[in-house]
Amino acid sequence: MSGAGEMIVELTGLAFGHPGDASGRNVLEGLDLSLKRGGFTAIVGPSGVGKSTLLRVVAGLAAARRGEVRLLTRPAPDRRTAALVFQDARLMPWRRVLGNVEFGLEGLALDAAARRRRAEAALDLVGLLDAAGRWPGQLSGGQRQRVGIARALAVSADLLLMDEPFSALDAITRHALQDELLRIWRETGTTILFVTHDLDEATYLAERVVLLAGSPARIARDVAIRTPHPRARNGLDGYVSDLRRALEETFVGGAGI
Amino acid sequence: MRPGTPRRPALLSAAGLAVFIGAWEAAVRSGVLPASLVPAPSAIPQALIGEIRNGSWFTAIGESLGHYLIGVCLGSLLGIVAGAAVALLPRFAAVQAWIARLLRPIPPLAWIPFTLIWFGPSQAAAAFIIGVGVFWLNYFATWSAVETVDEGLVELAAAFGQGGFARRLGKVILPAALPGMLSGVRSGLGQGWMAVVAAELFGIPGIGQRMNEAAGVLATNVLVLYMLTIALLYGMTDLMFERVTRRFLAWTRA
Repeated sequence: MSGAGEMIVELTGLAFGHPGDASGRNVLEGLDLSLKRGGFTAIVGPSGVGKSTLLRVVAGLAAARRGEVRLLTRPAPDRRTAALVFQDARLMPWRRVLGNVEFGLEGLALDAAARRRRAEAALDLVGLLDAAGRWPGQLSGGQRQRVGIARALAVSADLLLMDEPFSALDAITRHALQDELLRIWRETGTTILFVTHDLDEATYLAERVVLLAGSPARIARDVAIRTPHPRARNGLDGYVSDLRRALEETFVGGAGI
Repeated sequence: MRPGTPRRPALLSAAGLAVFIGAWEAAVRSGVLPASLVPAPSAIPQALIGEIRNGSWFTAIGESLGHYLIGVCLGSLLGIVAGAAVALLPRFAAVQAWIARLLRPIPPLAWIPFTLIWFGPSQAAAAFIIGVGVFWLNYFATWSAVETVDEGLVELAAAFGQGGFARRLGKVILPAALPGMLSGVRSGLGQGWMAVVAAELFGIPGIGQRMNEAAGVLATNVLVLYMLTIALLYGMTDLMFERVTRRFLAWTRA
């Protein structure tokens, strides 16, 4: 159904500044970025550069000052065009696991039975169907993050926006969830835009790594990673060192600070 | 377990209470405390029987309970609505800021003279006095509970297409603020009983008025009976509230 090269996101001449910032300074400027349907793209860059902000603009949670955000998705009443996964899982502590996954579905045209079916399918996909009746407070950090991913998967979005989803987890859990995400990506064929500050993570997961640097931030590097999955961890030193060099150059140039 | 933590704390608590009552009884019987001013604990059951026989006990409880329920319900409801409005609506917050600052420091009991002028010694007067105190407790508890709701959850709701005011309020803000709001209601339950008796001491029928009458004839055992009655009523309302709200807050214990 999706032809090769079909685009799902097109950002053109995007500029963003915080509405409360009186200086009128932009955080992002002159961003042009197109994402291929079904692709896995990582956005990397130093802390505070505006990676999460970019994700929020794409998600429609923040309005761009200039430029255009086009989501070339097919709107349907029973699915969302884009779904967000947050760094802190962001579960509602007063809803059980199943209720948290159903939350995203409550804004769609679905009856209760369909909501439940889809929430359970999504929980199954992240291996947490057994925990459907538990409270978020009873879960480990990794399980909470899985629930956050299930909530995003349940709405069958064309575009999965992930904001450093694994950065607060220990290394073992992080690696397990990275592999799980790759499996889910393969099984669902969804498009993933993945923000991280970890170059190893970006090169392990993504087909394409976009380096954001400077102030205001621009695209400093756009690298296609052609090594097929499954990849060896730390087996992509060439890509990582190239990106690291590019990152350092932006700092040395003074624009990164 | 911390060192020194008793293995059966309830047993120790019961023993403490027994010693307290025993010492009190002994002090009155031995004449250390004059029996005309302090009743012996053993004289209280007799007062209870007398008050039940002449019908005063249930009447007084019924009247006080009526004042209490009306005052607490209205005060809590209005306090919650006002507190939530202040937290959610910046314009409303600004409009009421100095009015609240002006009215807040006035103790509920200072309203007694006015309420007696406005309503006479009636149920409305007692309910008003109770409601004033309860209102402010709920106003501040709800305000801070709503104001400290995790912004991230509000953003989450927006990200999943539920950022409109009604959905945000019903699905994020109220559930998130519920524990704080309910703790305000609970403190209001205690504050309410204090105000009941104080209001009735000024001639509104109920437990407080009955205490006033008993004090007039130095029936100290009747006085103590009603003091214990208030403690009992407070304990029961608090326990019932805790039981009823427990199921709504199961997640806070997870």
